[in-house]
Amino acid sequence: SRLAEGTPRRSIQLSNIVEQRIFKDDDVISTPKRSRAKISHSGEGDEDYTPKKSTQKTPTRSRRASTTTRPAKDSAPLTPSQKLKKIRAGELSPTIEQRLRPVDKSCKSQLQLAREQLHVSIIPKSLPCREKEFDNIYSFLEGKIQDECGGCMYVSGVPGTGKTATVTGVIRTLQHQVAQEKLTQFDFVEINGMRLTEPRQAYVQIYKQLTGKTLSWEHAHTLLEKRFTTPAPRRLTTVLLVDELDILCNRRQDVVYNLLDWPTKSAARLVVITIANTMDLPERLLMGKVTSRLGLTRLTFQPYTHKQLQEIVTARLGGSDAFKGEAVQLVARKVAAVSGDARRALDICRRATEIADMTEQSVATATKCVSILHVQQALAEMIASAKVQAIKNCSRLEQIFLQAVAAEVTRTGVEETTFMGVYTQVETIAAFMGAVVPAPGRALRLCSKLGAERLIICEHSRTDIFQKILLNVSADDIHYALRVEGNN
Amino acid sequence: MPDAAQELATVRCFLKERLQRDYTTLRGYETERSNVRQLLERTAEGESNSLLLIGPRGAGKTTLINAVLTDLMVKKSFVDNTLIVSLDGNLHTDDRIALKSITVQMCLENVADGKVFGSFAENLAFLLQCLKAGDKKSKSVVFIIEEFDLFCTHHNQTLLYNLFDVSQSAQAPICVIGVTCRLDVIELLEKRVKSRFSHRQVFLFPSSEAFEEYTALFEQLLHIPSNKELKLNSDRVDSLELLKSQVFTFHRNHFDPVEYEFEKKIVENWNKHIAKLIKLPSVLKLLQTLYDFDISEAFLKTFVFRLVAQLKPNEPHITVEQMAALASQYECDDKIELLCGLSVLEICLIIAIKHHSEIYDHDPFNFEIIFARFSKFAKVSSTMQNVERAIVLKAFEHLRIVELIMPLSVGGLGKVQKEFEMHKMALTYGQIQQAVNKYQALPTEVAQWALSSLI
Repeated sequence: SRLAEGTPRRSIQLSNIVEQRIFKDDDVISTPKRSRAKISHSGEGDEDYTPKKSTQKTPTRSRRASTTTRPAKDSAPLTPSQKLKKIRAGELSPTIEQRLRPVDKSCKSQLQLAREQLHVSIIPKSLPCREKEFDNIYSFLEGKIQDECGGCMYVSGVPGTGKTATVTGVIRTLQHQVAQEKLTQFDFVEINGMRLTEPRQAYVQIYKQLTGKTLSWEHAHTLLEKRFTTPAPRRLTTVLLVDELDILCNRRQDVVYNLLDWPTKSAARLVVITIANTMDLPERLLMGKVTSRLGLTRLTFQPYTHKQLQEIVTARLGGSDAFKGEAVQLVARKVAAVSGDARRALDICRRATEIADMTEQSVATATKCVSILHVQQALAEMIASAKVQAIKNCSRLEQIFLQAVAAEVTRTGVEETTFMGVYTQVETIAAFMGAVVPAPGRALRLCSKLGAERLIICEHSRTDIFQKILLNVSADDIHYALRVEGNN
Repeated sequence: MPDAAQELATVRCFLKERLQRDYTTLRGYETERSNVRQLLERTAEGESNSLLLIGPRGAGKTTLINAVLTDLMVKKSFVDNTLIVSLDGNLHTDDRIALKSITVQMCLENVADGKVFGSFAENLAFLLQCLKAGDKKSKSVVFIIEEFDLFCTHHNQTLLYNLFDVSQSAQAPICVIGVTCRLDVIELLEKRVKSRFSHRQVFLFPSSEAFEEYTALFEQLLHIPSNKELKLNSDRVDSLELLKSQVFTFHRNHFDPVEYEFEKKIVENWNKHIAKLIKLPSVLKLLQTLYDFDISEAFLKTFVFRLVAQLKPNEPHITVEQMAALASQYECDDKIELLCGLSVLEICLIIAIKHHSEIYDHDPFNFEIIFARFSKFAKVSSTMQNVERAIVLKAFEHLRIVELIMPLSVGGLGKVQKEFEMHKMALTYGQIQQAVNKYQALPTEVAQWALSSLI
């Protein structure tokens, strides 16, 4: 009997079921519908309004429910669209599946503990080597909150220098102060340019963090505009942290302009802290009026020096002696020479603990320790390039092809070669080495295989023997890889 | 002997299935395998990680992942504590599609029957909230991203940034495994994405120095295992049933040796024959030419598959002659085959083009130039005298359609009349010479004309 759900009469019956369920829900918790009705039609009696709207809506819903041909289960009382409404209203908290058996916390070796401490996600309470920057931001924010005025700050620095960690650390300290009633209360809103699908979604995210509701960006924009431009007594100061500012810059720059314009309004009491990578972003990318509003309160995070990196790693390790002193120093010096990225140093240390774990299976677990050899192996894995190894592990004809490209570059003196020229070189070299000369079609296959690995850069092979070929490794690498192999 | 024929059919079927559908058997790569395996085990224990698996095409990157997953599926602690999400750069061509797929595979709240509700922005926000809400108590999520380099081309690299960012912050434990064939894939990442990536790279290179391993592999691919080994293998495959992913489908149609059983005598005979075959110098030489060209296992597998497909009741064993015939197919040039299928008129045009290129050093040509050169020959030849211009033009167009000659400019269509459009030749002189030598029943005049441009 349930098979004939597609007939209209059945669907009407089904819609009644759905309707009843909605009303039941309404009794239990207030749905977003009702609250939204309050916003848009202030003054209208919602007792009358809500049922009318729901009866209008039910037919479409019932049709959808019948097309999915899933009988409503008792265990899942919400239809997907109802769920979506709840999500939009911020009433349904997002969850992820829980693990069936919790992690066994006990019996962890010293190396495992060190590895946990070295994970980038473990942010220490106070960041070492960033005290000056901390004080700088702290005094700025504290002053703005106490004076009840708005302002902007621009923080820059290469990735991995502790910008976001320091700022959130400052906010945490301030919130602690608020809890102890040493400071007036404030709201904190945090957005990240890279977590948005487009710049205008910034309005949605800000509004969502202030009220918990998800609206369209136009709506959110007008509501935020209203909030920040109309004076209201007893308004709290809002601290807005904008991470990855450069992503929010589109051609019109209306989003960045709005975010930086609101603090200038006396009613807003908004403090904006912006974070980006490049120091000269305001001058390079932003329009004059936006740069002007961003102001000159700026702070630059310098890349960590090797001493600072060493301090960071040792601070994380705490009292543990899982690392030898010189091992940490080697990591610090190598990373500081490349990028000064703290994440990189921590990841390399973590990899070193894994290597130590693997290689020293025989040693008793308590006495395991990361020595300089392990660190060297980890560095080789994570910093060194594998191009030479890739060339060594090419097949013989592929190696001949690479040699031919290098030879053609030497012959013509130009970086860019064509397949025809390379093929004549292949014929020569293969004949010289006593290998079978591949037909052009097969040589094209070699070429596209090397191109897929990016040892060479080549065009689409529909251009056949006229395609242009660039060498993506240095000719020295080829000679080195093939000669070393030859000696063995 | 219907029985022998039946046995042979089973052997052939077994070998073919093993070549094609055994997605989880990985040979070699012990350290790399244990590296990935330990990483996944630690992820299941609640650590967040990221890794890139890099290697040339056909090196067994996907097989390594599948093999490691097969190993881990036996452990209950892994199965219970992890979700596996698989993405492919060829299928998930932008972040919008990828995000929907992630949401479906993670069974988040805004999914009903594989349909995701809400806009792109809402989906991203919801996924990030879910991951943020998680902690050490929530399930680990393993993201396996194939064709990782294609994800780098997405707008702003939003998805990669967010995945790597979650793996580097105190949220739900996730592990991001990127699989790609590009060696320089790290250079494609934006610097903030690069900073969040943990720079673990596992390289898979098939070894080029061990020809013995290659011959051993050849033998292994043709080897028929004993019933005991078959049993072991089918036990391993059985654990795959636990992998209930809708997206990872390699377990559904996996090669399952449980259906096969061989008589001891037949197995011994077959294996003995293969072992004998592999010792022959001519076979070794054949394998060496294959090995010189391409050392990947995938290439050898296609070769062996074609070899196995030739097994027939009247020739029940793999012979050296069969192998040689197959290998020579790999050697031969398809373009010469194509040239030999042309008519004599078209060959004449090709020869005219060749003469033109030789005289003017690869200068481009058009129909008029070639027709003039051809006419000079046709006037004095006894066979080509009354060929009309329209027919020659048709032949010229045919050459163009089969892409033996290519137009110089792709965009300039319609500007120039087709008789005057400039072309270049996509052949080498060597290929033309070989085709002329190989052509069946080519008139002597033409063969002589091909040797010299003088008439």
